[in-house]
Amino acid sequence: MDRLIQELPSFLSIWNIIFLLKAMGVTFLLSLIGCLVGFSLGTLLAIFRKTKSALLIPLRILIVIYTEIFRRIPFLVSLLLIFYIFQIGKITDSLFIIAIVTVCLIATAFISEIVRSGLESVSQTQWDAAKAMNFSYYETLKEVIFPQAWKVIFPPAFSFFILFIKDTALASQIGVMELTFAGKVLNNKGFSPILVFGTVLILYFILSFPLDRFGKYMERKYATN
Amino acid sequence: MGYTLIYSQVTEYIPYLLAGAWISLQIVILAFSAGMFFGLILASIRTFGNLTLRRTVIFYVTFFTNTPQLVQIYFLFFALPEIGILLSPFVAVLIGMTLNAAAYMCEIQRAGFLSIRQNELDAARTMSFSIVQQVRFVILPHIMKVLFPPLSNHYILMTLGTSMAAIFGVEELTGRAFNINAETFRSVEIFSITALVYIIITFIATLLLAIIGKYFFKAKIRIIQ
Repeated sequence: MDRLIQELPSFLSIWNIIFLLKAMGVTFLLSLIGCLVGFSLGTLLAIFRKTKSALLIPLRILIVIYTEIFRRIPFLVSLLLIFYIFQIGKITDSLFIIAIVTVCLIATAFISEIVRSGLESVSQTQWDAAKAMNFSYYETLKEVIFPQAWKVIFPPAFSFFILFIKDTALASQIGVMELTFAGKVLNNKGFSPILVFGTVLILYFILSFPLDRFGKYMERKYATN
Repeated sequence: MGYTLIYSQVTEYIPYLLAGAWISLQIVILAFSAGMFFGLILASIRTFGNLTLRRTVIFYVTFFTNTPQLVQIYFLFFALPEIGILLSPFVAVLIGMTLNAAAYMCEIQRAGFLSIRQNELDAARTMSFSIVQQVRFVILPHIMKVLFPPLSNHYILMTLGTSMAAIFGVEELTGRAFNINAETFRSVEIFSITALVYIIITFIATLLLAIIGKYFFKAKIRIIQ
């Protein structure tokens, strides 16, 4: 305990704080980009899966295979797989881009499932009614289905965002300079692990707790309506 | 120089890899059952305890669901030796996963508690059911129907989470993939096989859970989403 108190001033030097905050930014950016891309692509996949035309059957099968596969591979394994594929393909050296690509691939698979279940929560009669009004498929989605579905989509999509803030901790394994890696670096510099990992845990908590609250608030708001 | 995939160099390691999958399975089953047990205790305290106890449980759940499991295990593995508690990698991972699972299971099981309606219990009491009969015929069938889908979903997520153990040197599925990678340098081959094994074991798990859910608890789980 005495050691911790002795170390505290040198640990909380301005450079260490900047270092940790920057790493926190990287963590946030990783999950934010992943979720934004995942949300747009995932919505697209979910919409294609909802189509009925016989021409698009192969596409629908591909989407099912994609979502099933990427929801069943651990983040660590897919990260390493993408890392090595990029290495032999000589695509890029940037670890950040590799991590982003992996996050996007997985987020797309997960969020497309969330969006799909949201779309399915809207009853079939709504689709039929829109068809009877001679709405096109696009108009049906835009005017009828999404205004009702996004209340079901938003809360789980938000908790998924938090899940991804936590999962990006694994990106430290390929050496992306995010929060967990920063913790490892400081630990290797000789600071006490209790201090370092305790701080990292608290920083993660600071990052995801407001989002968690906000998600719960949204959930309550839409549940009562 | 291009890279050619040579799977024949890694085929001899497949039995070794599958034995690792067995260890992953042991970790997830142990952590899942322990997490469910502690989650039940926490959920009971959260529902029936006094204010201080309830607040403690809420704090525990918020903290563990808002920080990454990886950093929690880092803390257990690297920080606890500072105060004289030395954990083996396997035990550290198991404790970390259990603590994390207990927080999630508390939330899931609390939702189950809330789904029991008072008038059902009243009806059972009117029929002069004993406490055991009430639990066996009224509470359990109802609760399990609500709980089974999210619990089995969490089981799959935990299976994916076990890959974290590799980082601490546990020789489970991913850990053995690391070993083989270090021996053969056939990275893409070995990690794609590992990913395939994960897909297969989670798929079998979903299949079994769907069958159990259907015949014992009348809970519906979709095998392919």
